[in-house]
Amino acid sequence: MDLFLQLLITGVMVGSIYALVALGWTLIYKCSGVLNLAMGELTLMGAYVCLSFYTWGIPFPLAVVGMLIIGFILGLLTERLFLRRMVGESILAVIMVTVGLSFFFRGIVAFTWGTDTRVFDPPVFPAEPIRWGRIVVGQVYVWSFVAALVMLVVFVAFFKYTRWGLSMQATADDEMAALSLGVSAHRVYALAWAIAFMAAGVGGTLLGNINGLNISVGYLGLLVLPAVVLGGLNSVPGAIVGGIAIGVLQNLSAGYLSRFTPGGIKEIAPFAFMVIILLFRPYGLWGWVKIERV
Amino acid sequence: MDERRSALQINNIEVMYHEVILALKGVSLEVPQGGIVGLLGANGAGKSTTLKAISGLLKHEDGEVTEGSIEFLGQRIDKKSAEEIAGLGIVQVIEGRRVFEHLTVEENLRVGAHLRGNGAHLRRGLDAVYHYFPRLKDRRDVQAGYLSGGEQQMTVIGRALMARPQIMLLDEPSMGLAPMLIKEIFEIITRLNREEGISILLVEQNVKLALATAPYAYVLENGRVVMDEPAEKLRENPDIRDFYLGLTDLGARKSFRAVKHYKRRKRWLT
Ligand SMILES: Nc1ncnc2c1ncn2[C@@H]1O[C@H](COP(=O)(O)OP(=O)(O)OP(=O)(O)O)[C@@H](O)[C@H]1O
Ligand SMILES: [Mg+2]
Repeated sequence: MDLFLQLLITGVMVGSIYALVALGWTLIYKCSGVLNLAMGELTLMGAYVCLSFYTWGIPFPLAVVGMLIIGFILGLLTERLFLRRMVGESILAVIMVTVGLSFFFRGIVAFTWGTDTRVFDPPVFPAEPIRWGRIVVGQVYVWSFVAALVMLVVFVAFFKYTRWGLSMQATADDEMAALSLGVSAHRVYALAWAIAFMAAGVGGTLLGNINGLNISVGYLGLLVLPAVVLGGLNSVPGAIVGGIAIGVLQNLSAGYLSRFTPGGIKEIAPFAFMVIILLFRPYGLWGWVKIERV
Repeated sequence: MDERRSALQINNIEVMYHEVILALKGVSLEVPQGGIVGLLGANGAGKSTTLKAISGLLKHEDGEVTEGSIEFLGQRIDKKSAEEIAGLGIVQVIEGRRVFEHLTVEENLRVGAHLRGNGAHLRRGLDAVYHYFPRLKDRRDVQAGYLSGGEQQMTVIGRALMARPQIMLLDEPSMGLAPMLIKEIFEIITRLNREEGISILLVEQNVKLALATAPYAYVLENGRVVMDEPAEKLRENPDIRDFYLGLTDLGARKSFRAVKHYKRRKRWLT
C-alpha cells in the first residue's frame, strides 16, 4: 500500500509537468488546427535557455522569468516565420513543417549546448526529501508540482478571464465568427505558439531539475501525444487530466511491471495505453463532440 | 433614394472565389446613414457574398473583390483586412447563428467587445445588450451551444452590438425560427436602428418580413442587382408578388418548382 501511494504521488507530480506541456500542445491544435510534432524541441529550447541563465548566476526564479520572455518571443517568431505561410495548406504539409521545425530546434540545441547531460548546478531544490509517515518524496518533485500547478492556474485564468484568452477560445470554436468581430486569427495563432513555448519551457526546466538535461528530455514531446489523445486533443482540462494520468501510469508500470520485463516498460506503457484508448474512445475522454441540441 | 449621407456605398463590384468562380458580376448598392436596406434574392444569388465582401471575411474564404470599390463614410475599405473593417464599425452577423458554443452567453458577448477593450465600455455594452435582450440576462451563464435557436440568434446579434457598430450586416436572422420569435427579433432590430442609430443592411429570404422592416431594398439574382426600389413599390411589383410573396395573379399558390420555371421567362432575369 505504501509503495502504491508513493508511486501514485510521484506519478501525479511528474504528471503535472506533462500536463503543462500537453496544455501547450492542445492550445496550438485547438486554435489553429496544427498538429505540432515539435513540442519536445520547444521543451528543450526553454529548458536550455533557463539553464544558461542559471549557470550565469541569475537566481532561479529570475532565470525562469527570462526563459518565459524568450519563449514568448520565440513562439511569436516561429508562427510568423514558419507557420503563417502554411495557412490553408494541407494538414499533412503543415505537420511536415512541424517535423522540420523539430529537427531545426534540435540542431540549434545540439550546436549551442552540446549533447552531454547538463545539470542545474548548484541544485535549485534542496536534496532533503519530504516525509509523510512512511512515504518519502523528493523536494524537487514537490516543488515541480507546485510550479506546474501555479502555471496551470495562471493559464486557465488567462483563458477564462482575459480579453485575448476569450478570443482564443472563440477562435477555436468558430474562427469565421471571431473574425467578424475583429479578432485577428494570426494573432491568436501567434499567441498560441507563444504560450506553448512558455509552457513547454517550464515543463522542460522542471524535468531538467529532476533528471538532468540532455536531448532526451525532448522525448516529452512524444509523451504529450498519449496525454492529449486521452484528453481528446482539443480539450484543455482533458490535456491536464491526460498529462497527470500518463505520469501516474508511467510510475505504476515502472513500479510494478519492470521486474517482469527487460526494462523500458515505463517508456512503452503510455503508448500502449494510447492505442487502447483510441480503440475504445476515439475522441478521448473529453474530446469535443459538436454540441447537438435535442 | 434618400437625401441622407450614405454610410456604405458599393460601386459595381465583381467578386471571384478561388480566382475562377465569379460570384458577383457588378453589384452596386447604397446604405444611407441610419437607414435600413434590404437585400433579397434566391439561394445562391450572392447575398452572403455581398456581405462578406463588405466585412472583409471574403478574404478568408479565398475570395476577392476584383473590380469596383466599396466605401464606408467616404473611405475605401475593399482592400482592408476583416480586423480593420470591424474596427471601423462594420460588423457582420454571419448566417446560421454561429455562437461560440463552448463559451457562455456572457463570454460570447465579451468576445464581441474584443476591439473595444475592457472596463467601462464592456459594462455599458453588456447593460445595453441585456436591455434589448432581457432573455439573455437570465441565460448569461449558460453555454451558448445549449441555447434555443431564438436565444442563439439573440446572442449573435447582441454580440455584434457589443462591437459598437455603425452598421450591422445581418444575414438571414429569421432563418429557422418560429414566427413569434421572428417578430420579436425583428422588432429589436428596428429598435436598434431607431434608438442606437445603427445603419442596417438586412439579407432575408423572408421577403414579406424584409419589406416590412426595410423601407428600401435590392433584389439580387445570379450575382447581379436586378431591381432596387422602395419597399412599397416592390410589394406591388408583379414579379416579386409571384416569385417571393407567393401571391400570383392567377390565384393559386405555385409550387417552388413551378415558380422557378416561370421565373426563367421573366424579363428581369437577364
Ligand atoms: N467559399 C466559396 N467558394 C466558392 N464559391 C462560393 C463560396 N461561397 C459562395 N460561393 C458561390 O457563390 C455564389 C453565391 O453564394 P452566396 O453564399 O453569396 O449566396 P446567397 O445568396 O447567400 O445564398 P443563400 O440564400 O443560400 O445563403 C454561389 O454560387 C456559391 O456557390
Ligand atoms: Mg447566404
